[in-house]
Parts: sequence; C-alpha cells; structure tokens
Amino acid sequence: MAQKDTILLAPVTVTAVSPERFMSGLKLQKVDSATLSNFRFQNLGDLLMFNTPIAIKNYGPGQLSTASFRGTSANHTAVLWNGLNINSASLGQTDFSTIPVIGFDQLAVQYGSAASIVGSDAVGGSILLNSIAQPAGFNSHVSQRYGSFRNYQLQTGAKYGFRLNDNWNFSGKTALNYNRMINHFSSTERRRYALLSSQTIQQGLVQDFFFRSKNQQEFSVHIWLTKNKLTLSPKEIAGRELTLTEAYRTMIRYQFKGWSVRSSWVRDVIDFATGNYSNLDHAVTDRFSGRVEKDLFWKMNSFGNIQIKTGAEWANYRAQLTGYEKPLVTENRADLFALTRWQVTPALIMSVNLRQAFITKYSPPITPSVGAEYCLIKNEGYDLKIKGSYARSYRVPTLNERYWKTLGNPDIRPENGWNKEVGAEQKFVLNENFFTAGVTAYRNRIKNWTYWNPSKNYHVENLQEVLTRGVEIQAGWMRNSGILKSGANLGYTLNRSSQEKAYDNYAAEIVGKQLVFVPKHSGNLNAFVQVGNTRLTSQIQAVGKRFTTFDNSQFFNGYLLTNLLAENSWSLGKIQVNIQGQINNITNAFYLNVRNNAMPGRSYAINVTLSSVDFKTDKK
Amino acid sequence: MKRKLSQAILAVSLSVFAWSCNQKDPDPKGNYIQGVFVMNEGNFQQNNGGVSFFKREGNTAEVEIFSAVNNSSLAGGVQGYAVTGDIGLILVDNDKPGLDKVQIVNSNTFETIATIGTPDIENPREVVILNSNKAYVSCWGENGSYTYKNGYMAVVDLKTNKVTKKISIGNGPDNLVLGNGKLFVGTTTFTTGKVLTAINTTTDEIVKTWTFAGTPVPFGMDADGKLWAKNGLDVVRINPDSYAIEATLKIAAPATKSADNFVFSLDRRAILFGLSSNYGASGETYKFAITDTQINIATPIIKRVFGGMAVDPQQGLIYAAVIPSYTQSGYAVRYRTDGSVMDSVKVGIQPTGFFFR
Repeated sequence: MAQKDTILLAPVTVTAVSPERFMSGLKLQKVDSATLSNFRFQNLGDLLMFNTPIAIKNYGPGQLSTASFRGTSANHTAVLWNGLNINSASLGQTDFSTIPVIGFDQLAVQYGSAASIVGSDAVGGSILLNSIAQPAGFNSHVSQRYGSFRNYQLQTGAKYGFRLNDNWNFSGKTALNYNRMINHFSSTERRRYALLSSQTIQQGLVQDFFFRSKNQQEFSVHIWLTKNKLTLSPKEIAGRELTLTEAYRTMIRYQFKGWSVRSSWVRDVIDFATGNYSNLDHAVTDRFSGRVEKDLFWKMNSFGNIQIKTGAEWANYRAQLTGYEKPLVTENRADLFALTRWQVTPALIMSVNLRQAFITKYSPPITPSVGAEYCLIKNEGYDLKIKGSYARSYRVPTLNERYWKTLGNPDIRPENGWNKEVGAEQKFVLNENFFTAGVTAYRNRIKNWTYWNPSKNYHVENLQEVLTRGVEIQAGWMRNSGILKSGANLGYTLNRSSQEKAYDNYAAEIVGKQLVFVPKHSGNLNAFVQVGNTRLTSQIQAVGKRFTTFDNSQFFNGYLLTNLLAENSWSLGKIQVNIQGQINNITNAFYLNVRNNAMPGRSYAINVTLSSVDFKTDKK
Repeated sequence: MKRKLSQAILAVSLSVFAWSCNQKDPDPKGNYIQGVFVMNEGNFQQNNGGVSFFKREGNTAEVEIFSAVNNSSLAGGVQGYAVTGDIGLILVDNDKPGLDKVQIVNSNTFETIATIGTPDIENPREVVILNSNKAYVSCWGENGSYTYKNGYMAVVDLKTNKVTKKISIGNGPDNLVLGNGKLFVGTTTFTTGKVLTAINTTTDEIVKTWTFAGTPVPFGMDADGKLWAKNGLDVVRINPDSYAIEATLKIAAPATKSADNFVFSLDRRAILFGLSSNYGASGETYKFAITDTQINIATPIIKRVFGGMAVDPQQGLIYAAVIPSYTQSGYAVRYRTDGSVMDSVKVGIQPTGFFFR
C-alpha cells in the first residue's frame, strides 16, 4: 500500500456533534417551525397525530395520551429533551397530553430503533425535543387563545441575546404558559355516547440560558417546569378523579474542544386521588444524571472521514411511591457508548454504534447498530438516496414493573428487539416547485415483551413477543413564487403489529392478531397556501379501524379528522399582530376514545399574538 | 259424571279463554324471546361490556346484542339483567361517575325504551324484579374514595321508568334475594359490613337489620322457602320470618381461600359454589345438599373455578363463565348436573353472570 494513504492520526477539533448525526440509515423527520407555530396551543400528542404515523392512544380530551410508534407500546418511544430521556421512570412512558408544544424550540421524530444512540425505550422510535440558542436582539410576545367550551390559554415570553464582552455572547429564552380547559361541552353526549366531562389546568415555565465564546466554548442552563392538573367528572364531588402531574427538568451543559459534559436533575411527581381527595396517591421520582462525551474526527484521505463520539452516562434514581414495597427505592444505571460515522465517499455514509448499559442487579444486552446511506443519483435538481439499518434495541423495565407491591417482579428481564429497515428518498426541483418522496419498510421483533398477566392476578411477566412490520410512504411539495407560497405533505402508513407467542391455553386466540389501538392503515395530509402575510392551512388525519381487544373481537371504526387554520399578521408600529382562526374537526367527525366515550365534535378557537421585535444587530 | 262434564266444560272454556287472551295478546315477536343471556363486564376503563345471547340448542353467541340492535354500545360493564314480560333492565356501570345507568329495553327485541341515569343510579350492582310494576336495584352510590358510604336501594317504577325511592344502606349494598314478601340485601365483601337488611316489598321500608360474624352474602331461597347466605367460609340457613339462623355449615378450608358463586340446583335442594385461592386464580367447584350437616370439599364436582356461575331453571345445566383475560373474549361453558363438561360458547369480555328465558 502506498505510504501516502496512511491514515492521518491527528484528530481535528470540532464542536460537539448532535447524536442524530450517527443515525445514518434511519429515518429522521424534522418538524418545521410553521407546524410548531400552528400547534403552539396544543400538546405534543396533537402535533404528532397530524404530522407523523405515530398512533396516539387517547383516553379523552386533556386525558392520558400515549404513543404507539410503528406498532409498539407506549413504553417503546424514547422522549428526549436536549438528549435526556424524560419518560417517567416509574411508568416508562410519557403522557403527551402533559407536554405543551410551546415547551421546546425544535422537534424531530426519529423512526425505528436507535437504542445504541439514545439508550433505553428507543424501540419503536424517538421524539427529540431541543432548546436552541437565540440570535442577538430582544423579542417578546403575548399570545392568547379563546376556544370553544370556554377554554382559554395564555402564553407569554421573551427571547434575548447580546454580547457580554469581547469573548462571550449570552442568549436566552423565558416562556410561561397557562391553560384553562373547562371543556364545557354543549351536550353531554354524541350519538348516545357520553362526552365525559373533564377540566385541565396547565402551567409551564421554560428558561434557557446560553453562554457562547469565540473559541467555541458553550455553557448552557435549561429549566423546564410543567404542571398539569386534570380533573375527571369535576361536578361529581364524591366520584371525581384528580391526576396532578408535575415535572421539574433542569440541566446544565458545557462544551469545549470536542468535549461535552452534561448534568441534570429531573423530578416527576404524580398525585392521584378520587372523591374528597383524602386518600392521595403520591409518587415522586428523582433522577440525577450526568454524561461526558468526546467527539473525535479524522480525515483519512482516500478512506474518507471518520467521526467518533464516545461517552459515558450515569444516573441515580430515587423513587418514593405509595404502591411500592419499600418507602424509598434507589437504583444506579450507567451506559458506555461509542458512535461512529464514516463518510466513506461523498455518496456513502456508514454508521456503526455500540452501547452497553449497566443497571443495579442486572444489565441489558450489548446493543449494536449498523446503518448506511448511499446517494444513488445526484444530478442537478434530482437526488435519490437509499438507506438501511439493522439495530438492536432494549427497554429497561420500569420501576413499577420491578418494585410495585406484590404485582411487580424484581426478576423481570429487559425487553429487547432487532429492527431492520430499508428506505429510499428522493428530492427534485422543477421550476419553482420542490418535491420530496420517500418510502421505508421495516420489521421489528421485540422479545420478552412484558405483560401484566390477569391470570396471575396481574403479576408482571416477560410473556409476549411482538412482531411489527410495515411500510411508510411520504410525499411533499413546496412552491415558492414570491408572494405566493404553497405546499402539501402526504403520508401513508401500513402497519401490521402482532403478538407471536402462546403462553397459556387461551393465548392461541391472540397470536397473530393486530395489537390493540394500532391501526393497520393511517395517513395524514397537511397543506397550506400563503399570500403575503395571509396563510391558510389544512390538517387532515386519517385513522383506520382499530381493534380494542387482544383477540380482535371488538374494534373502533376508522375516522377522518380535519382542522382548518387561517391567519394573518400585520405591524402596528413596533408591535406585530398575528391573528389566527382555527376550526377543529370541521366535518364534525364522530370517533371514540379508549374509554368508549365520544370525542368532541366541531370546535373553534381564535388565537391572538402580539409580539415586539427588536434586533439590535439590525439597527447597527 | 256431571262433575266430569263440568270439568270438561271448564277446561274448554279455560282454553277458549286462553286462546282469546292469545288473540288479544299475541306471542311476543323478537329474536331474544328464549335463550341464554350472558352479562359481560368488559375491561376496566374501556367500558366495553355488553350482553351476549345464544339459544339453548346452539353453541354460537351473538356477542353484543344491544349494540347490534341499537347501533350504540352500552358504554359500560354489564352488572345485571332481569326481565318482566316485555321489559328488560340492564345495569350498566361505567368506570367514571355520572355515566352509570339502568338501560331499559324491550326484552324480546332488545330495542331501547328508556334509561335511568345519574343521580338516580350510581354504581349499580344487582337488579331484581318484584312484579310488572316494581324493580329494585342495589347501588353503591358515588364511591370515588372507596368509602362505601353512599349506598342505597333504588326502587324503580316500571310504569314510569323512574326511581321513586332510595332506601339508604351502608357498606355497599350488593347481593339481593326476594322471598316471603321481603327483599334481603347483603353488602359487598370489600367492606367489613356485617349487616343483612330485610325490606318489606309492599311498604319499601326496612323491617329488619341483623348482624353476622362476617359479611353476609344472601344467594337464594331453597325448596323449603329458607334463605341461604354465605358468611366468610360459613354457609348459613336463615328463617326468613323469624330471621333466626337455623343452621351453619362450615367450609373446612384455610382462611386464605374464598368461597364464591353460590347457586342452587334446579330443584333448589343442592348448592354449588367455587372455592378458590389467589382471588380466583385457581380452585375447584363443590356441591352439597341443603340437608347436609357438613360441606364436603374432598371431591369437587368440577376441577376449576369460574368468574360466574348459574343453573338454567329450565334444563338444570350448569353455566360457568370463563375469563381468559380482560382483553379477550370469554366463554360460557356448559356442564351437566354431574359436573361433566358439555360444550362452550364464546361470548363477550369478562362474562360474570347469566340470565335465562
């Protein structure tokens, strides 16, 4: 071999690279800021329903809503806030009704298993929520929403950025939100199905600070507090039901010369009570965690470029739940990981990732993944890329699964699965039109799937095995001709998700059957047209038949939900005014939630935002 | 001879009378005039219970007849069903307060007639029908904090389909037995209530309350007109007039086991029950005669326990409800009187009770 090709060993200094860079071969959907803005008064579940194939299992307006990503269960979607998994440690899932869209700056949805990169729970996919540094200037806003059913919401906040001295810049964001959802429906039922009365009071605070230096140091502080008070049947004083969910999420991060250090504390509090609330079920889980990682980069001439991220993270859990045997349960977890991205040629990228988690008393399996992306055609105006990934995934059992009095099982094993997927993506430009189209096929087999077994008095066991497979098709179009902008996005998903293992005499009747609340067919269509500052948006969600029992003996019919939004903005001196009118469920579609209650029909909302924009840099 | 002639004339005139009655009141029409009705409680929080129906000679059920007929589900678990003439009363229990109801249907067609909801009916448990005018529904009342303090008997006027009276009863009124002009009301075993209540069905007043060692669960009147109740692992025979306990039969099993699903045989001279451990996870079904002095638990009649059990008053077969899980179809398994299995019929989610017509 020619000596000239010797690998250049001196690594190049780079700033920290986001973990998504190592997801080559996997599908990543970045949700644009216009969509985030349209959903700013809604929760994350609402946004995901209309913009992704994730099936949301909803118990009613303002009530528990959990994700089924590619046919997996609510425990199989990792929700990451600035890289930190914020799924409740006791439940192993996130209630998306408690996560307001206003709580984060960026949203990306990563499809398929990425456990080697993000750790536990990333079996069906991951939801990535990020805070970003703000540009220089000062900008504040007040937004209010008046909706049907006497619902009201208020959001206010400011984004700011300025130079501290010759070396350092400072920026930040402060945001507050308050929602009062009375849900005063005009009728108590629809088509003889009850509309369960419920009230939600939601409060939130987001605080981000970024300090950035010229020599690429970055220090940031992130605080996110959410409080969600849900009362079911509030007028039935002896029978009402309270669920108070509070989350305190804090994080500090420091990055310098390829090193990245993170420390965080997250506290989840859930209070549950009924009737006169005298018997409060109080659950507190604290998680202290830290993470250190180092990014390395080598240019290897004819062997391409290699990026490696290696790191370690650790967490200490402290849980105090009324239902646990011990008053305080503590547990330590640690992970080691090495992520590699190899740009072999300009057209070919490969990733090889490895993670090993360690947990008090037992450990999940070593978790590798490989992925590749190859640009098959790259012409002017046309791109065709093919990709594939093969990855192991795992889920650490929840604290409830292990420590719950009598029913929990300290010997329960982590679930683990192998996910395979292949896909193709193309982009092309034609005059003022920009088209995208993609197709992905996947197959994910998850073993040791846990099950609260009713025939053993709900003792939890690793009984089931689930196979999910499906196809996702996406097509997008954007047109920008000066004053007129328009676009549309169409998605269709076919998902077959079934339990494959017989574990008792009657399990034969559920083997091979579609999992509950996972539609085989689903789709969505979002379209907008914008003239100047006036924009019209339609959101359509189509959900096919959903089975509601394991043996598929009962089901809910499919439905089509359509929302329409119209907005206009103008300036009043230094104040910018934005008014948005929204009609939800414009066709008054009838559909049911998990409780077999009707969901609301057509409803209206008007959103008014006043913002002041003052960019110091522009003035200079 | 004359007497025979007059008897013949009487017989003829009676049959003419009967025939003319038939003319005036034709045979009821509908798909649900004769057969077996299964009450399915459904899965907690999914409110997906219902009533399954099958004919005695068949072994395939219509799994949910109410929604099939009315294009709308009951939206709750079915706790009870009872019929008088053309009227059927379905007790529907939703997991959330304010949504429970008595669904009144045409008993032959299952078409909806009326509903009685909150605040008259809250957490309904059992229904018995006194006559074509009056029914009783035991209700726990609103019970969010599980205090069982708001319980009552709802007296339903079947002519107006309204609750005309609530008779307050503590500790969660539950099992009901009609006999001797009285309604006997037991309470749920989830409480430590030890009182059995007797209500006069003419005045709808409480005429007697008396205390037991454990929670009394009345389950029927025997062939001799005596009231029977379970009381922990004891079974007691009660004189319904004097309220005296005439006999106590002990089930000689460890206290960790529980005895449930007490039902009378067709002739009301024998009693079947399930003896289980781990809240019904395993166990056996036993049978004893009302004249026995002790209960034999050496030889079970059926080597399993069930989510519910009943004896068909027409054929005497034992109907047992099997619940594989709360998220898949249950079964009604039929046993002959000797405990040998006959067949099984797939029904709704979590079957727990039967009604025979």
